Amino acid sequence: MNPIEENYANMTRRSFFSKTALGIGGLALGSLLNPSLLNAATKNSATTGSGIPNNTLPHFVPKAKRVIHLFQNGAPSHVELFDYKPKLRTWHGKQTPSELMNGKKFSTMSSQNNTPILGSIADFSQHGKNGTWISDFMPHTAAIADELCIIKSMHTDHVNHAPAITFFLTGSNLPGRPSTGSWLSYGLGKMTDNLPAFVVLTSLDKQANCGQLFYDYYWGSGFLPSKYQGVKFRGAADPLLYLKDPNGMSREMRRKFLNGVEELNQMNLKDYGDPEIQTRIAQYEMAYQMQVSVPELTDFSDEPQHVLDMYGPNVMKKGSFAYNCLMSRRLIERGTRFVQLMHAGWDQHTNLNTQLKKQCEDTDQPSAALVKDLKQRGLLDDTLVVWGGEFGRTPFLQGNIQDKAHWGRDHHPYAFTTWMAGAGVKPGISYGQTDEFGFNVVENPVHVHDFQATLMHLMGIDHEKFTFKHQGRRFRLTDVHGHVIKDILS
Amino acid sequence: MRKRFSSFLKCLAIASVLYSCNSNLPSDVAEAYEQLPEKIDYGFDVKPILSDRCYACHGPDEGSRQAGLRLDDETSAFTALSNGKFPFVKNKPFQSESIKRILSNDPSLIMPTPESKISLTAKEKAIIVKWIEQGAEWKPHWSFVKPEKAALPEVKSQALVQNPIDHFVLQKLEQNKLTLSEKADKTTLLRRVYFDLIGLPPSVEAVNAFLKDESENAFEKVVDALLKSPRFGERWAWDWLDAARYADTNGFQKDPERKMWPWRTWVINAFNNNMPYDQFTIEQLAGDLMPNATTNQIIATAFNRNHSFNGEGGRIVEETRVENVFDRLETTGTIWMGLTFKCTRCHDHKFDPITQKEYFQFYDYFNQTSETGHSESQGMIPPVLDLSSTIDKEELKKLEDYLELLGNEITMIEDKKFKGKIEGVQLSPALQMLSGSALNQLKIDPSERSPYYLKEVISALEKTEPSYTKKIKELSKALNKTRGRARRNLRVMVMDELKEPRTTYILGKGIFDNHLDSVTAGVPAILPPLSADAPNNRLGLAKWLVSKEHPLTARVTVNRYWQAFFRNGLVKTPDDFGLQGSLPTHPELLDWLAVDFIENGWDLKRLFKQIVSSATYQQSSKVSKELYEIDPENKMLARAPRYRLPSWMMRDQALFASGLLKNKIGGKSVKPYQPSGIWEEASFGKQIYKQDHGDNLYRRTLYTFWKRIAGPTMLFDNATRQSCSVKQSLTNSPQHALVTMNDVTYLEAARVIAQNTLTQKTTAKERLDYAFKTITSRYPQEKEAQILQTKLSEFKTDFEDTDTKEVEDFIATGEFPVNKDLNKVDYAAYTTLCSMILNLDETITKQ
Repeated sequence: MNPIEENYANMTRRSFFSKTALGIGGLALGSLLNPSLLNAATKNSATTGSGIPNNTLPHFVPKAKRVIHLFQNGAPSHVELFDYKPKLRTWHGKQTPSELMNGKKFSTMSSQNNTPILGSIADFSQHGKNGTWISDFMPHTAAIADELCIIKSMHTDHVNHAPAITFFLTGSNLPGRPSTGSWLSYGLGKMTDNLPAFVVLTSLDKQANCGQLFYDYYWGSGFLPSKYQGVKFRGAADPLLYLKDPNGMSREMRRKFLNGVEELNQMNLKDYGDPEIQTRIAQYEMAYQMQVSVPELTDFSDEPQHVLDMYGPNVMKKGSFAYNCLMSRRLIERGTRFVQLMHAGWDQHTNLNTQLKKQCEDTDQPSAALVKDLKQRGLLDDTLVVWGGEFGRTPFLQGNIQDKAHWGRDHHPYAFTTWMAGAGVKPGISYGQTDEFGFNVVENPVHVHDFQATLMHLMGIDHEKFTFKHQGRRFRLTDVHGHVIKDILS
Repeated sequence: MRKRFSSFLKCLAIASVLYSCNSNLPSDVAEAYEQLPEKIDYGFDVKPILSDRCYACHGPDEGSRQAGLRLDDETSAFTALSNGKFPFVKNKPFQSESIKRILSNDPSLIMPTPESKISLTAKEKAIIVKWIEQGAEWKPHWSFVKPEKAALPEVKSQALVQNPIDHFVLQKLEQNKLTLSEKADKTTLLRRVYFDLIGLPPSVEAVNAFLKDESENAFEKVVDALLKSPRFGERWAWDWLDAARYADTNGFQKDPERKMWPWRTWVINAFNNNMPYDQFTIEQLAGDLMPNATTNQIIATAFNRNHSFNGEGGRIVEETRVENVFDRLETTGTIWMGLTFKCTRCHDHKFDPITQKEYFQFYDYFNQTSETGHSESQGMIPPVLDLSSTIDKEELKKLEDYLELLGNEITMIEDKKFKGKIEGVQLSPALQMLSGSALNQLKIDPSERSPYYLKEVISALEKTEPSYTKKIKELSKALNKTRGRARRNLRVMVMDELKEPRTTYILGKGIFDNHLDSVTAGVPAILPPLSADAPNNRLGLAKWLVSKEHPLTARVTVNRYWQAFFRNGLVKTPDDFGLQGSLPTHPELLDWLAVDFIENGWDLKRLFKQIVSSATYQQSSKVSKELYEIDPENKMLARAPRYRLPSWMMRDQALFASGLLKNKIGGKSVKPYQPSGIWEEASFGKQIYKQDHGDNLYRRTLYTFWKRIAGPTMLFDNATRQSCSVKQSLTNSPQHALVTMNDVTYLEAARVIAQNTLTQKTTAKERLDYAFKTITSRYPQEKEAQILQTKLSEFKTDFEDTDTKEVEDFIATGEFPVNKDLNKVDYAAYTTLCSMILNLDETITKQ
């Protein structure tokens, strides 16, 4: 919402609470910034921004209240992990049929003259009630097969990392559009004042040898007001920049400091009558709440040992994928709406045989633990977990077939796998099919925009109605595309 | 429940009134009709509706046009469709098919269609009906018609008028039974004009002098001094850098450093010297093409190379090159014309009368530079202007000559050895071993190759082709040497023009290699043509933009500068003056200012003085509840705007108030305090932020090194510098408060103000007065002083109870030397108090 509208919303709120809200600090602020009211104010903006009387958000009762997106940067190899293709092994070393290659664009990194099929380096076995084939590289994920809705027919428009990741997260390959989390926090508002609605966590593979960076536009707010951008929690000592007061300043002193700021601001408010001053008071109060709540959030000492054990040996290592998975759960428990956990290191161009397994070891157990942990707390009913990358990897080899140590697979936008679990999606199913090489989608294709439309739907939003007018055009996450995949909805 | 009942009533009402009496309108529309103004204006009332709700399917874009119906074009809108029905019939709403459709209840007939999820309100329907009744007068879009100066309107409160601006503002206020607020008090006004003109607060001495000066032109004297201040250029350069997407790195993967700062210095100087805006335009867009172009004029063209540059591995170079051309064109469109060209990359514009063909004709002007799209992960991508010493230049030249020689030799060898084999299918076994990236290297000119991939070539071919790989080794060495030198030399990326023009094609769907018809340079037909004697190139284009005939440039420019003073422009969408953009709140004022700006030689300082000399600017920003309810957005300007300073100005203010700010103008970017690990995290440990020391910590924020993938962390609500941006959002996130409370720069500034307070003043009252006034420009009132005093005592007590080591830590924030003579508890308590004052809403807000 633009600041003016926001002021106005504040002002109406304030006159409502004028007897109680002022000058009492945190307690009164709780009601001043009552999330449902904030939410109501935000709803207005989604309508007034466009000048068209839309339905207010959400458009219908949402199945999911929160999302944890375990984004696997670099593109995990679908044919090694979730899309079982025994034919690759029987064709190992033979050239890829030219009818598959014709007219396809790949990255400029692989030679298109020489594309021998590479048999899957991982074995697969069947799991769960429906006998779902899952890679032996992912034993923990395999163990929760009955919770997963595995989409094997994902496909995208972009063949290089940054454009494809940007496309997946913002609906456009070029930087500058709001990311999914921004859209959601703009449209649905906050559920807590103590933490950001949209949090980003990042982690790397152990070797950190893969050059895919985390650009901040992956969680940018684009043309939405910048307060809706994702807030990056760091793996370093201070999870949030500038959160820590300087050495020597106690929490009590900060409280006194803020009381002083508020008292003086109140005087200025009386003088100027500008409701923006009221917003400023609230803003500083929320900063304080964050200072109080974030250290509690990041202190894992209240987690029982058996829960820590679920997430595996790296869980206490700040910035590891396991640490971030547990952090995600703690965040959504405390009211964060959208967690975008980005993990780099899946870009196996030349080191499939050495790296892929390690990468799985780092991520498999924590991902599965997160789903199980949410379930045992009853949170999986209204929390959606998503796991997947920006595209897949070529069924053919990149590199020299003799040189096994340097086998790799190139970028493959034509088919890849993403799984979802939790709120609103059917558990224990697979959706969509690729051909026998895992090359093209042959049944129930799910384009990235379809995926986005479905995610919006689960959050109670009609992706076609949820628009923001910018430079004369109504923009939406799904551009002018996207269909909700009804078949996977529970 | 109530809602459902009332909608039930409404349905009943519609059913009964629908075809009754003399009204054919549904009741809600009839009701809205009664509330409409007497005269409906096409441009202000009707077209925004048509454009926003209809054009997407019935507008300029032929590709998406439905039913052959076109409502953006006068002839088509009044001509029968193939089914014999007329979209609009003058004076006869109920014979107009469009009216039948918008009033229909039948889902198969109603417009806009239910699937579009767009609808019309009753009021909007009523407006279209009434407009047709009144004869459906058609006018071209306001911003495409050349502006003219209207006579200054008569106003009742003539006494309030200070200059022409006030005529227009008062006219509108009086029409709405409002007037200007009282004048702001002197101190507030002084702070306001200081922030606006130089981006810094006044010093205590400046405040005192102004308060003392009771002469008639006291304010004017201040304004004149500020316009002459060297700080002026720094303040205005900021907004220009945002628009020009300036950064110190390329962006994207690797994000290598570039040296574009000489252009930044050029901009500062241009503002300080009050370079006329038309010249400012021409030099930046086409300085290289000016006759006998000076070095400075060529530096100016770095403007069009400030875009980011994607050197990601696996990229197709032509794709990168094309994206850069898009960026140049669209940036130009936004800054000078307020046109959203971007929509036209892939198809005809859905709202504005610009076709895809016209887009690519415009694109052609920017498509003729020698930039290839190759980056080889260097920051400085040719064409470049080498500003380094003659020795360094010569050294580089020698290395480049050698590289070229070696390159030719290698090309000859390769032609002989692998002719046709690299492109073709029949690779020798050794070449087959190569990865695609390495193989690609052999397809390009040797001087553009990457030593990283050549390593692979060498190891693969060493055994079979020893003499060839020896040459490749030499090449690798020469490349490293040449590039190392090139990086060290001060080379600015600038524009040039190819001798042999590149053919420009319409790119289908905007895809870089999807060549459709070829086109030549030209400007959109809706705008005036280039003057007959102008060259049809970038220079001609630049001159065209600032010609008197151009309807957009002056309007867009004065609007953007108006926005810098009032937060919102007279047109609220500074980047969209097209059909979907906001309409001007004061159209005649905008046009008057635009024409006046041109008539007076595109003189920015004059424009700024005009604005700040108006009564409109000088009124108070205090607002009553009643006024706020009438005009919450302050569209009518019955009060001055009141809004938070941009974060860079907040930081500059803290540095200034503490006396730490350095006055040096221009030069290379600096690296002030930043929390550790930011660059390292963003680059996976490959790039390390090496913080500067000494004076560089205290330069204006304008000079802070801007890494594109990880911008300065102490800023917020800032442009991302990824692409052109002419208006920044203004939000209130808790993280902003954390920055101003805990960032080292702010804490150090608070500490130095405290130190100055303690060393310069002795009594408690003097000290409070001094600290408060240094930061806010005024003395605290009695009650405020009491609060400050109470806080101070609280802080003292707390610090007395704090471990001495921690107190010492607290006052050691920042690198400015600690005054060891001061009582530590006092020092710490005053520091906290000053930090508190620095965080007051009044301090960080332009009131």
